[in-house]
Formats: sequence, structure tokens, C-alpha cells
Amino acid sequence: MSQTAEKYFFNDYLWHAVAAVMVTTAIAAIFLLAPTEETMGIAQRIVYIHVSVAWMGLAAFVLMAITSGMYLFRRDLAWDHWSRAALEIGWLCCSLTLATGSLWAHAAWNIWWTWDPRLTTAFVLWAMYSAALVLRGGVEDPHRRARMGAIVAIIGMLDVPLVIMATRWFRGIHPKSPQMEPTMRVVLLMSVVCFTLFFTMLLLLRRSQLRSADMLEDLQAQAEA
Amino acid sequence: MTDPRIAIEVRRVTKRFGRRLVLDEIDLEVAAGESIVLTGSNGAGKTTLLRTMAALIRPNSGDILWFGEKTSGQHESRRLIGMVAHENRLYPHLTLRENLIFAARMCDVVHPRHCADSLLETVGLLAHGDRTPPVLSKGMRQRLSLARALIHDPPILLLDEPFEGLDAEAEQWLTGLLQDLRRQGRTLCFVLHDEAKTRLLADRVLHLHQGRLLQVAADQTAVAHAA
Amino acid sequence: MTGRNTINHHPPEYQNRCCGRSPTPRLRPKVSHSPGDLRSDVSAGSGDPRRTGVSQSQYQKFYWMVSKDLLSECRSLRVWPAMLLLGVVVAMMFAMQTDLPPQQLRQIVGGLLWLTIFFAGTLALDRSFAAEREDGCWEGLLSYPVSPTCVYLAKLTVNVVALAALECVLIPLFAILTDLPLLAHPGPIITVALLGNLGIAAVGTLLSAVASTGKQSSYLLPLLVLPMVIPLVLGAAEATRLAVEHDFGPSWWRWVELLGAFAIVFVTAGIALFEFAVEE
Repeated sequence: MSQTAEKYFFNDYLWHAVAAVMVTTAIAAIFLLAPTEETMGIAQRIVYIHVSVAWMGLAAFVLMAITSGMYLFRRDLAWDHWSRAALEIGWLCCSLTLATGSLWAHAAWNIWWTWDPRLTTAFVLWAMYSAALVLRGGVEDPHRRARMGAIVAIIGMLDVPLVIMATRWFRGIHPKSPQMEPTMRVVLLMSVVCFTLFFTMLLLLRRSQLRSADMLEDLQAQAEA
Repeated sequence: MTDPRIAIEVRRVTKRFGRRLVLDEIDLEVAAGESIVLTGSNGAGKTTLLRTMAALIRPNSGDILWFGEKTSGQHESRRLIGMVAHENRLYPHLTLRENLIFAARMCDVVHPRHCADSLLETVGLLAHGDRTPPVLSKGMRQRLSLARALIHDPPILLLDEPFEGLDAEAEQWLTGLLQDLRRQGRTLCFVLHDEAKTRLLADRVLHLHQGRLLQVAADQTAVAHAA
Repeated sequence: MTGRNTINHHPPEYQNRCCGRSPTPRLRPKVSHSPGDLRSDVSAGSGDPRRTGVSQSQYQKFYWMVSKDLLSECRSLRVWPAMLLLGVVVAMMFAMQTDLPPQQLRQIVGGLLWLTIFFAGTLALDRSFAAEREDGCWEGLLSYPVSPTCVYLAKLTVNVVALAALECVLIPLFAILTDLPLLAHPGPIITVALLGNLGIAAVGTLLSAVASTGKQSSYLLPLLVLPMVIPLVLGAAEATRLAVEHDFGPSWWRWVELLGAFAIVFVTAGIALFEFAVEE
């Protein structure tokens, strides 16, 4: 790779622009390209966004648990920046999942909420994300905060399979793999890819922001000393 | 210092609390049988250094070695250390005797009851053995705290301001006891403020300033410079 | 103060008996003491059972830690009365709000019972480390030659016992209030209760250690623990409901297996992670 190409390839702004364009395209595709569904009408378009953020919410949880494990193993705050960025983005995505899911459920089932396995799992994830956020907010020492957050993240990750098992045995009405028109499929795939890229950019941005904040505080502490 | 080996070795230890650098690459060797005193103003990191030497705090970087062996992850070797901390570490709902017996059992002492009674006698609290710590005076609790630290006969003793809260008579008694312990060849590390006591008890005085060991003095005159 | 005289008056035989582990004569004025020798004795493992892996003394220490906590609680009565009282009050409130025919009550009694146990039990979970932190006892405990695993298991056991005491009150109380045959099959109910206790205590003990290092321990703990124990509360509630309905078929076993899996996973996780939770 030539030096100019490298410069552009690793340019954050370039990727941010790409993510912005892609997410705009995805939204445009959802409303203009995808056909309106027969029974549910326009409300069905929520699904494209819902699936994207739901997947991101789960992926961020896994990322948080893995980076937390790495932190406990290496004791390097760089891993904690990943973990914390994943926590915040994951919480955002999980909240969006619950909100969009609820809207969709109102249109489809005429109820806002039900104790379907996936809904319950999403709620439990959201509750764990929230608890971890509150816990981190109360600890000042960065290493201690990282350690506490890591323990909660790892227990949470161990808990997820049990939650899925328990809720699946409990009851279930969530659509598993609905039949879709080819155009719908394409739009869904596109939306998932675009939103994933968008939230990944957001996560990377937050991570580098956390790292900069950390460095800044270090410098301030040094200057004071 | 008949034994050439190093009781405690502090190797480039750094500890931060939040952003604050409390210990800044401290290097320190305490020979077996030596008695050192750490001095320094409030917040200089004396207590933190002592607690790090007791392996109660995990440093951000660097190692602590007891008799040449790393302390990290070594729960068994904790019996080499006895510590008198700021807080008395006594369970408020157990009697003095029970507190000592519990400590003895935790430290694998063979005859916990016997040992507890003997130590109660040593610190002059045998008559109060069945009372609980909250009803005692601060000085009595401090004496019990010392008994608790000595219960497993540790070769290394770490004392964080052991004279705090003692009256004149008890101070004199404790000075005598500590001098005896020193004469037995135990390794002692103190945090002290009192210059006279420092002169009595120290082989070496170390002055801690902003997380660094500024002065390492072989004799007590250094205290005057440090102050 | 006679202390200074006494220390030189120990009979020699005491010195050897008292601390037989160490070759160092205790408090003997003459310097025959050589810490280097002590060190090599300790590390060489000279037939000392304490040096051979998981030694017996770790079990003994576990036992003494559990009895210390139970004795302290029996004397101070600081946590258990409050916990039992909260359990009773919450149970009464639930019963008041769900004054339904038995057929409907049957469906929800398991859930109500386990939520009550959880909320009241949180008091005990929270105090298990908060009490140690007073007067620096916690640091004292960490400075003894005891493995963190041993400390964790001791605290876990105390919490399991506390929750069991709570259930001894709450299950009969629910049976009386709802007039349902909760005690008709003691075996299955006790199995569910024990597995449930183990699960809640395993997560709760670990997270209580996590929360107690922060400044906002008591209100944070339920928030941390409840999402984690949702599968357990769900499983225990369903298993209790099936037990009330005399249905001990495969679905009952499935829930019991879930409770067992939960307990195994989180006791293991607790043992693995406790060390990180308690370090300074």
C-alpha cells in the first residue's frame, strides 16, 4: 500500500463519512426500496432497524465480556476502553431494540410487551448493561472500576445462555424466521451491514475518545505533581 | 543483622490511587533482623507502602519479595507477616479471647487457646479476655491488635503508628516490648511520627516524600533533616 | 503494666507447643532466631500437611470462618431479624394484593415466593462484606494465610444458611396465606430451595464483594444481582408451581436441572473471579 493510500485508508474521517453515507442509504432503502408489507403496512419497516440494533446489542455484549477478560488477564486499561465503549454502545443498541421491538409488537400483536423468550432476553441484557453502567459510575479509581466492570461483564456473559434456555422453556411467540420477499431480504441484509458499520464506527470513536480522556487526565496529574 | 538475607525487598513498586501517584518506583531492601522506620508528612504514602509490603495492595507495577520469594498469589507465605494496622481489625461481637483464637486458627497455630491466653497475658489483658472490643479503651484495643499480629510468631512485623492512642505508661510498656522483639532478631517496619521513639527503635530511617524515598539515612540524625 | 516482665517468663515448653509450626522460640530474649531458616522450613515442605496442596487446614479454616460469622450474627442479631421481618412484611403485602381464588394463586405463588426470598435475602448478601469492612476486619482476613477461594466458600455458606433460615419462615407463611399445598411434598420443595439458595448466594456473594468496594454498596446490590438471577428466579418459580400442582414430570426435572446448572456455573465463576473482586 502506498503512503497516500495508507493515509486515506487509516483516516478516521473517511470511515466516518462512509458510515454516515451507508446508514443514510440504508434508511433510504428501508423506506423507498423495500415493498410495503400486506398485513402490517408501513410498521413492518421497523423490522429492518430492529434486527440490526438487536444483533449489535448482543455482539457488543460479547465484545464487552471478551475485552473484560483480557483486561483481567493483562491489566491494561486499553482493554478497559474497549470494554467500556462496548458497554455504552451495547446499552444504546439494546435500548433501541426494546423501543423498536415494542413499537413493532404494538402494530403486529396489538400489545406493547409480552414475555416472549427473545424479549425477555433483550430485557435481561438491557438490565445487565444498565447495572454495569451504574456500577462503573460509582467507582473513581480507573483500575478498580475496570475490574468491577469486568467481573459483572463476565458473569453476565455466563448468564446469557441460561437466560436463553430458561426463557425458551417458559413461553414463546416471537417470529423465528419469517418468510420474506427477495427485495425485503436484500434490504434487511443491507440494513444490518450498514447499521453494524455505523455502530462499529461509533464504538471505535468512543474508544479513542476514552483513551484520549485517559491520556489527558494523566498529563494533568503529571502537570500538577 | 546476623542473617545476610533480605526479609523484604521492594522492587520498583509503583502504585496509583486513581490519578494520584502514591508510590513512585520505590526500591527498598530490609535485611532480616533490621528495624526500619518510615517517616513523612500526611499523605506521603507511608501507610500505602506498608500495606504494599504486607501484600495487601497489589502494586500497579513492581514486585514485593519476602525472603527472596514473590508475594503475588502466595497465600501460604502470608504467615511470615504480622501487621498492626490503623484500624484494629477486631470483630466487635467476639470477645478478646475469641478474636485471638480466630486469628490463631487462621494462621495455623497449633494450640490456639493456649497461645491466645499467653498473649493476653503478655499484653496485660488476661482479666478482660471475655469482654468484647467495643467496651475497651482505645489503648487496650491497640494492645490487643498487637497481640493479634504476634499470634503466629511472624519473623516480619509491620506496625502502622503503634503508639497511637496509648497513654504514657502503655507507651513505655510497648517501647519495651518492641525493643525485646527487635533484640530477638525480628524484622520490624514502623510508621512513626515521634522522633524520640524513632531514635529508640530504628536501625534505619527512611523518609517518604510524594511517593519517593527521598532520604535513606543510616542513623537517626536524618530525621532532623527530614522534618 | 506487667507486660514487659511477662514476656520473659514464658516457660520454654509453652514456646514450643504454642507455635509448633515455627522453629522460632517465641519471644525469647536471646537471638537464636533466624528468619532465613524459618523461610526455608516453610517453603521446603518438611512433611508439613499445610504445605501439601489443598491441605486439611484450609477446610478447618473454612469451618472456623463460617462459625465466626454465625456466632457474630447470633450475638449481634443485626441482619437476620431484619431480613426475616422484611420477608414477612413483603409476603403479607403480596398476599394482600393478590387475594385471588386458589386456582389463579397457584399460577403465581412460586414467583411471589422467590421474589420475596430474593428481596429479603439481599439484606443478608449485602451485609456479608459490609460487616467485615468495619474496623478493617476484612483486611485482617485477607492478611491471613487463607486462600480467597476458602473465604468465598465460607461467605457463600453463611449466605446459603441465611437464605435457608429465611425459607424456613417464608414457605410455611406462604402455605398459610395462600392455602396451597406448598408443604405437601417437602422433598422436591427442599431440593428446589437448596439449589435456588446456592445459585442466589453464589452470584450474590461475588457481587456483594464487588459492590462493597464502591461507595454505594447497599442500593447497588439488588440492581446488580436481580438481572443475573432472572433465569434462577424463573426456574425456581416454575419448579415450585409444578410442585404445588403435583406435577413431577420431565418439565419439573428440566427446571431443576436448570437450577443445578446455574448453581454449578456461578459457584465456579465465583471461585475463579473472587480473587479479582477482593484485591486492592
